[in-house]
Amino acid sequence: MNNKISHWNLGMSSLILGAISFAPVVGNAADEAKTQQLQGKTEQVQQAQPAQQTRARRPREKSFPKIASGKWTGPRLPDGQPDISGQWSNTIANHGNFEDPQGGVIGEPNRDGTPRRDPGPRDARAPSRVSDPADGRVPFQPWALEKVKDFRIGFHNPTYPGHIEPNARCAPGGVPKSLYWHGYDIQQYPGYVLFVFDNGSRIIHLDEKKPHLSENIKLWNGDSRGHWEGNTLIVDVANHNGKALFGRSGEFISENGTVKEKYIFSNDGTRYNYEAVFTDPTVYTRPFTVTIPASKWTNADETDGWNLEAHWAKHDGKEKILEHNERICYENNGGFGLGAAAEQKK
Amino acid sequence: MNKKFNKLPSRFSKFAASLMLVTSVFATPILSTSAMADEKIPRLTNGKPDFSGIWQTTSAADYDLEPHSNRKDAPPGAGIVEGNTIPYLPKALEQKKKNFENRATDDPSLKGWTLGVPRGVYYPEPIQIFQRPRDLTVVHQFGHSVRTIHTNNTQHPVIDDASDLWLGDSRGKWEGDTLVVDVTQFNDKTWLDRAGNFHSDALHVVERWKLLDANTIEYKATLEDAKVYSRPWNISAILHRHREKNFQLIEDYRYTLDFEQYYPPKPDKK
Repeated sequence: MNNKISHWNLGMSSLILGAISFAPVVGNAADEAKTQQLQGKTEQVQQAQPAQQTRARRPREKSFPKIASGKWTGPRLPDGQPDISGQWSNTIANHGNFEDPQGGVIGEPNRDGTPRRDPGPRDARAPSRVSDPADGRVPFQPWALEKVKDFRIGFHNPTYPGHIEPNARCAPGGVPKSLYWHGYDIQQYPGYVLFVFDNGSRIIHLDEKKPHLSENIKLWNGDSRGHWEGNTLIVDVANHNGKALFGRSGEFISENGTVKEKYIFSNDGTRYNYEAVFTDPTVYTRPFTVTIPASKWTNADETDGWNLEAHWAKHDGKEKILEHNERICYENNGGFGLGAAAEQKK
Repeated sequence: MNKKFNKLPSRFSKFAASLMLVTSVFATPILSTSAMADEKIPRLTNGKPDFSGIWQTTSAADYDLEPHSNRKDAPPGAGIVEGNTIPYLPKALEQKKKNFENRATDDPSLKGWTLGVPRGVYYPEPIQIFQRPRDLTVVHQFGHSVRTIHTNNTQHPVIDDASDLWLGDSRGKWEGDTLVVDVTQFNDKTWLDRAGNFHSDALHVVERWKLLDANTIEYKATLEDAKVYSRPWNISAILHRHREKNFQLIEDYRYTLDFEQYYPPKPDKK
């Protein structure tokens, strides 16, 4: 039986996110090509929409400043939390390659089939998201590394459903992948920090006396308990189901893993660095640290369709207010949701 | 103005004073019963009622908005439709009957798809409302859909039909302590309940959210849809605050159940 499933057909090229324009600013060449296919299908808000041709795009960073944990001297919310609410997005690259984020998807040929050109010297690009150990590699146990390598081949020539990157199925991005896919919203309330991603959301409970859910319950975005220390939001993540993977290079954590996160904010409120320790004695030989830089997007920015998928609010005042487009993926997904339903009807 | 009072005989003024005192002692509870209830309603720092928290209805509305006896797939319910019957246009009523017959396969909630508005409000799973002055964010445990109700004096955006939304576009304003939310720009892909009650992309919903006390929300909605109903019609339901210790939403994604068994990779069995 021919089980060959092309990821071009299934989700990648036909992934439609409702009113969201799917134009990655930090994607690799393959993403750019897919973007052009999608532009015609997705719909834009007409009201005072910034023209696509003139969209200002932030350049991808090749390096980023370390932010020290310490005092917060910026504005605070009435409940005392540092006020960091707003639209955020990572500054480096998407989920194409975890250890070489700007190096392109491993093994990806050009669209015309020719092999990809040499991406050049490694140190000319952004560092690995693995900041410890120093070699920038996830310290996999041998069996797990074999699975990762198998995924990297299967990603281009899937013969098994587990070769499909879960984003193509509109599965939640999970931890940590949600932080380097599209931009997202951080909202703060007494007792909670809420992350709203295009796929999924995370509710960080700031009441650490509240126990985690039972280990029987495993979640795409885990179960989170956190507290603030100065400029740093410290979050303990349990109940991870490991299913989202870390991206197209196949790295993963299992349902036995836990994550201790630090979101370290600069005092001017424009950046934060995510520094998190991933522990899983069934997958890794030792815990390792993931570092992801992010910057804030504001009403002064132009929407770019990837880091910021928004439109200007309609109102009687003069102030420009950005509103995010509806975040619903699966139902609109050409490959799975509505597309699959249409196929069934034929 | 004070001259008038100075001219009153002192006996009369003393009597008037004591009468006023007596009246005020008895009048305070009567006049302020609603005020005292208001004081118990949580409020944001800007004085607006605060709907923050985790809520859920105990009504059987999601099984069937209209009154119905029990079925193999539903408990009985007295219905939450004012006047009991949804005023379908004749062709729409035929469609509703077809939906009902095929509900075991055609109900979009079976696939775990977004419930839409208003079904997400009375679906029998918790919703968590996060509220700040500019908006309310409603996170639904089912499907983990996130709906934003803008309360910052903004209006519905101008978009074309290709951008019809699963949850519609919600703009809220305050009428006293009632949050009135206008929802438009729907697509036609959601149902109103499991019984096949449905709408078109012309649906327009006006909701009225009101805290009856700190732990109870009265939810009312008027639905109109010129392609489906002959006139607007109303529903009303009660939401209760979840007060169990440590209660929290737990992700409920159904569509991932079709493929999640393939992730993450596992060691080969030897």
